[in-house]
Amino acid sequence: MIREVAWRLFAGEYNESTLEAGGGGDRAPTYVVTPLGARVNRLFVVGVLTDVENVGTDGQPMWRARVSDPTGTFHIYAGQYQPEAAAKLSKVKPPAFAAVMGKSRTYSPEPGTVYTSIRPEMVKVVDENVRDYWILEACRSLKTRLGAAREAQAMDPLTKDALVTLGYSEDVAEGLVAAAAHYGKADLSRYKSLLAEGLRYLLPEYRAFAPEEPVPAAKPAPKAEALPKKNEDAEDAVLALIGELDKDGKGAPWDALLDAAGKKGVRKELLEETVNELLDKGLVYEPVLGRMKKI
Amino acid sequence: MGMKEELEPHVRDISRALGGKVSEEEIERELGNYLNVYRVSLDTAKRSIVKKHGGNPADLSLGITKTVRELVPGEQSVSLLARVVSVNEKEIETEAGSKGILYGFLGDPTGTAPYTAWNPEGLALAKGDVVRIQNAYTKEFKGRVEVHLGNRAVVTKEAADLLPPVEGGRLTVPSGPATAAKVVDLKEGLSNVGLTARVLSVEAREVNVAGEKKTVRSGVLADETGKVQFSAWKDFGLAEGDVLRIEGGYVKSWRGIPQLSFDERATVAKLATEALPATAELTQSPRMWIEDLAERGGGVDVTIRGILIDIKDGSGLVYRCPECRRVLRKNVCRIHGEVQGTADLRVKAVVDDGSGAITAVFGKDLTELLLEKTVEECIAQAKEAMDQEVVRDELADLLVAQPVEVRGNVTSDDYGLMIIVDTARVLKVDVQEEARAMLEELEG
Repeated sequence: MIREVAWRLFAGEYNESTLEAGGGGDRAPTYVVTPLGARVNRLFVVGVLTDVENVGTDGQPMWRARVSDPTGTFHIYAGQYQPEAAAKLSKVKPPAFAAVMGKSRTYSPEPGTVYTSIRPEMVKVVDENVRDYWILEACRSLKTRLGAAREAQAMDPLTKDALVTLGYSEDVAEGLVAAAAHYGKADLSRYKSLLAEGLRYLLPEYRAFAPEEPVPAAKPAPKAEALPKKNEDAEDAVLALIGELDKDGKGAPWDALLDAAGKKGVRKELLEETVNELLDKGLVYEPVLGRMKKI
Repeated sequence: MGMKEELEPHVRDISRALGGKVSEEEIERELGNYLNVYRVSLDTAKRSIVKKHGGNPADLSLGITKTVRELVPGEQSVSLLARVVSVNEKEIETEAGSKGILYGFLGDPTGTAPYTAWNPEGLALAKGDVVRIQNAYTKEFKGRVEVHLGNRAVVTKEAADLLPPVEGGRLTVPSGPATAAKVVDLKEGLSNVGLTARVLSVEAREVNVAGEKKTVRSGVLADETGKVQFSAWKDFGLAEGDVLRIEGGYVKSWRGIPQLSFDERATVAKLATEALPATAELTQSPRMWIEDLAERGGGVDVTIRGILIDIKDGSGLVYRCPECRRVLRKNVCRIHGEVQGTADLRVKAVVDDGSGAITAVFGKDLTELLLEKTVEECIAQAKEAMDQEVVRDELADLLVAQPVEVRGNVTSDDYGLMIIVDTARVLKVDVQEEARAMLEELEG
């Protein structure tokens, strides 16, 4: 068996994926197919590990971690079958630059809703240089896919053979055709701005004009609409708290928010979920890691 | 020969397959229609016509005669005029019990191809014969077209002088001009190759070919696109630095690395030394993507940049069998049992560049360099920790997740690619320069 390549992929693209392909045969690998047609079985990501938590039990721990890149957040889950990665995660003190290699996973709690995550094979604390080099690699990879997706969109009809004739590999062609069938025409301008965001992140000349950490990419609306209504109350409450706790104009500190929310009966899980929703809706952003600010 | 005359045998073939129930005039008209209006291949046209009139395409007996070079995978019924280069027997297990098959190579002046005869009874396949093969089919295996002789295949012996004789597994006279190639284009199975390259190194050695001593000159050739190992089976007076024009070379492969061979049937001319960049420039190792190496099967002295994403078991401080150099497990050699092992350092890592993954093997010297420690110091360290694995752990701390550049020869087998690393370094990349260039291009 030839080893699956480790994709360098921004969270902003990975988390938009709602298609899982393959797995038909006995041991056929499964792939998460992104809107730009990357067929991802394995990923390599480097970002800021912002929190780690045991969401299992003491006897059967399941470590959940979040790793942020300039475009969004990866969700990492390691349990008893990933002993090395789980052991590493349990020891990391956030925030830290972390490299994670792992397998792509999707979770669909209800039809129409798909969450992507990573099941880690390797976790390692790294330095800023490694993170910066990863961003550059992720940018290169995204640029290549953007070009291919642009050609695929110009094609009528879009076929695998026609793409192969243009010089794309079978894998790339298959991914593009599958993505077009599932997602329709991807909004390439969105991914172009994702790419620009990644590149600017590396350049000091843009840091002077932007917040220290860039604004998470605003996601399109459909996912938010699918969420149940009961969350809206929590959202209003959390949004109000973020406003109140932002005393120095640099954003509300996460710890203070956690305390205040707890006093109002909003548990940590719900708080995190709610903050993610607010991020997705573009109502708040993270000017620096660990701080939330109203837009 | 006019179109009509050329098609006549095929018209008769279709007529025969249909048992004469459709007139030849009608068939001729239909065949013309398929070929000239719908522009399908002759093979498809014939099969379609037979099917349309309720016949069985398998009854067609006259395939399309092609040269070996013209063969493509997936032909249903093809004819060849070829010389049998080799014939081997093999027993295979089928559901109906074991049976004998024949396999080997056949060739014509355009090239050679492997063949398999699945029902060899009654097939006139003898080494050296010139045969006309009809109704063969083709498949692809490892990037190469294979000729298969199934139930429908017909083999007829032809006059021996129709094709040039065979010598050393190849037909002697490469017909027509050699196919021009650059080093990067060389792939296993190519024959009659024309290449302009500089000799980077050459040495003579004695080899044993079928019980006969021969002197072969081997070394490395290079052009602007890369390097390739070569074997010259005749003394062409090659010297380091020479720029050569080689016509009539052929490509074999060793563990996936394409290698150029040429012998007395090739012509080798020395060109002006300015015909190619200087040795110093050609000696540089080309940077390649793993994806491209996977497609080629391997390469000589290439450079890869990627992330070292894993250090495998059996890396770090290891003990080897003094007899066979195999790595011991708990002081036990798989072959020689319990032995007193000799200490060694090595790394078996996985490097991934985003286009593919490769196993990278670092030997003792390089591992010492990366660790900034000698093997003796590692032994002391392991003793103190009472754990041999401390060295591997240290290597993992040092190297995993780091961007690295590795240089060496790349080979391949069923498990994928492997690079035997000659030099390696952890990369310090100026990300800003490239990011700025990409951003400018993006915002154009």
